[in-house]
Amino acid sequence: MEVPIGSIDKELRKLWEQDDARTNASLMNFAVYSEAPGALEKNSRAIQTLTAEHACRALLIGIDRDAPEASIRAWITAHCHLSHGKKSVCCEQISFALTGKATGRLRNTVFAHLASDLPLIFWWQGELSPIFEDRLYSLVDRFVFDSSEWADPAGSFGKLVDAISGATRDLVVQDLAWTRSFQFRVSVAALFDDPLVLAALPEIDSVRIVHHPDHRGSALQMLAWLAVQGQWRDGMELDLAVARKSGNKEGFSFESQGGKAISAELVSDPESAPLGLVELSGGGVTVAVSREAGATHLMRTIEAAGHVVEAPGPVDPDDPAGLIGEQLARGGKNSLFQKILPRFRQFLER
Amino acid sequence: MTNPFREDLVSRSRPEPCTVVIFGATGDLTHRKLVPAIYNLAVDGELPPGVKILGFARRSKSDEEFRKGLEELNRKVSRSGHDDAIWEKFEESIHYHESEFTDADGYKRLADRLDEIDRERGGKGNRLFYIASAPEFFDDILEQLKAAGLNQAKDGCWARVIVEKPFGTDLKTAQHLNEVVNRTFQEKDTYRIDHYLGKETAQNLMVLRFANAIFEPLWNNRYISHVQITCAENLGMEGGRGGYYDKSGALRDMVQNHLLQLLSLVAMEPPTDLSADGVRDEKVKVIRSLKQWDTPEKVAQNVIRAQYQAGHVDGKPVPGYREEDRVDPESMTEAYVAVRLMIDTWRWSGVPFYIRMGKQLPKKATEISVHFKDAPCVLFNALPGGVPGANVLVIRIQPDEGISLRMNSKIPGTSLRLEPVKMDFHYATSFGKGSPEAYERLLLDAMAGDATLFARRDEVEEAWRFIDHIEHAWHQSKTPPPMAGYVAGSWGPKEADELLQRDGHTWRRL
Repeated sequence: MEVPIGSIDKELRKLWEQDDARTNASLMNFAVYSEAPGALEKNSRAIQTLTAEHACRALLIGIDRDAPEASIRAWITAHCHLSHGKKSVCCEQISFALTGKATGRLRNTVFAHLASDLPLIFWWQGELSPIFEDRLYSLVDRFVFDSSEWADPAGSFGKLVDAISGATRDLVVQDLAWTRSFQFRVSVAALFDDPLVLAALPEIDSVRIVHHPDHRGSALQMLAWLAVQGQWRDGMELDLAVARKSGNKEGFSFESQGGKAISAELVSDPESAPLGLVELSGGGVTVAVSREAGATHLMRTIEAAGHVVEAPGPVDPDDPAGLIGEQLARGGKNSLFQKILPRFRQFLER
Repeated sequence: MTNPFREDLVSRSRPEPCTVVIFGATGDLTHRKLVPAIYNLAVDGELPPGVKILGFARRSKSDEEFRKGLEELNRKVSRSGHDDAIWEKFEESIHYHESEFTDADGYKRLADRLDEIDRERGGKGNRLFYIASAPEFFDDILEQLKAAGLNQAKDGCWARVIVEKPFGTDLKTAQHLNEVVNRTFQEKDTYRIDHYLGKETAQNLMVLRFANAIFEPLWNNRYISHVQITCAENLGMEGGRGGYYDKSGALRDMVQNHLLQLLSLVAMEPPTDLSADGVRDEKVKVIRSLKQWDTPEKVAQNVIRAQYQAGHVDGKPVPGYREEDRVDPESMTEAYVAVRLMIDTWRWSGVPFYIRMGKQLPKKATEISVHFKDAPCVLFNALPGGVPGANVLVIRIQPDEGISLRMNSKIPGTSLRLEPVKMDFHYATSFGKGSPEAYERLLLDAMAGDATLFARRDEVEEAWRFIDHIEHAWHQSKTPPPMAGYVAGSWGPKEADELLQRDGHTWRRL
């Protein structure tokens, strides 16, 4: 229902007065920002899914920055879900369509409709544009983006790091490309819980990561995580690594704390799941986490001394809304991402 | 050497690969709770790779038959549904071992089987023995495990035991069982399970009290009038349960373990840390501080027992307790109990805690309600109708887990009239994601060596010490307090209402 900008709160109240059986639930403000045409409708469907598990006040923002005239329109709606088959639990959504220069209006008009005292999660879709600036992110508690959508990830990460370091308050950033590797990282960690495998960690000399061409960023973040957590230094061949990039493969070399040379290979495969395989081997042990494209679970494998142990594990959702849902359920300050970020950027800029 | 890849991924103790040996593997608990819990852990990726399940029971079965039976139930009861592809892989880890619980040879074969599983897996021989059999076999199983050397962990490994309830039937039998357990396993490797402690809201009790600055300052006799803990069931003795229940009763079946555990979480002092012993040290102090009802007169004043008479529950006629299947027609076992407890500490001096548990009540609900004192008699008390009621904080354990706070508010209008309103928090609506089953959390904790949510020996024995006085007054004194009656489908006997009325309180309407 389209409503005048000045009457949004009044219309929202009316919405709830219509039906006593509905419960309005809200744990956070969740804003979705897009400059793509038709994004409001698409994102409204994503919010419908998301609110089934995460009660929020949703603010959908669609902007056409190239339009000659400045305008703003708003709509309100509610997403309701049956909880335990009986109670109707609803989340409210306010959609804004803005045209023309929008930075000031985003802050003054759109953000005037945040539910007070609740955190603001801001999902930025697409490339970082001039709208991404201090007046925006100084209000945000968690900034979510998907670097796999970026044409120039190295440049965009540069802007992001500047924003983090210049922010006047803690800005938690969440890259969905990083979230995409979560279950792979959990699985690798679980495999190294086995004392036999953990004992072989200093002997690891080979890493292989298979990824879909659209998800090279997730693969590089995975590699950065392994290198940072494993305390692997860059190997002697790092400077030559670009020369080692050939076809669908790229090579990296590291050195473990004990001086062991480790070679890593990233393989881009159009038939692969976003992340298809992470395999580490050395010291007579091979651990692997693999996922077939479209599979609903991944497989964890340990091969050691002639024994093979296999166990299934859950996968990360493939769609961005599902990934955000998983991330919201986990919470946290995402400090590990910030820890691996410098190493990841180093890989990106090679 | 610590696993560097664990950093920042999970904030919980790390479970280790092991073989879970379940005694009583053909029973309902294994099929409905334990294996589905392990399956759900696998689905969620929480189960360490290499975990094996070995069912131990007397019936003749092949691995395939055992797996098939488990699969059938898992399809019906699994929290996360049943995925054929995952089950196919999961069931490869399930095996069956046929033996009498008293057959020494069966345990030798078990030891060989476990060694074989370890060899196949190529990993360490961690063992988690889960005793889910009928209680009369607990001693035999523990003694036989010891005789076969299975209680001894191999180098760098561990051997732990989980013991299901009932942990004894009185202080003497609990002490005996504890001695048998501690002769077999060290206390640190013993996990006495109380599934109530694995429930989300029970775990949230500590968070509510100690992570929110607004509650702890009020959590004492200065502001709290009394506390009620209710466990209501709308079932009777269906499914042949009367045979077990008639030997046990509400007090021993529910109050000694589950409800006293909840009481200790509500009443304990802040622990020095969140370690297993840090928390359990504080919990046991509460049980130890309970004023003992150690004469029939004190029991008669502070404890009400009752049996239900024929009535209607959920619109259906139900028989009286003594007419139930497998219940003695002259039974003196209570199907309902209400206890008034006093905790002898500075914090709780003069604050009564009321516990009630009953069968064939109008609905199923477990909750804790903290009733605050009335606001001072000034200002609004002079109004017509006065202040409608004191503040009540309710912690719902099941179903519909959540927390609510009742407070008074002005009715809109030109006149000044007050009505109570409720601020309500539901886990299910605020966090759409379902909570894991209690057994999932507890099994994972046992694999990780975290005993925080398990009862320690002294907790169990102190609880029995309190309960034994009441049981003694009921069944062995010359002047036993009477058995009250209530109509099935009602909220219990009038004597239980009078128990609170004497203190100027009433049971909370659920």
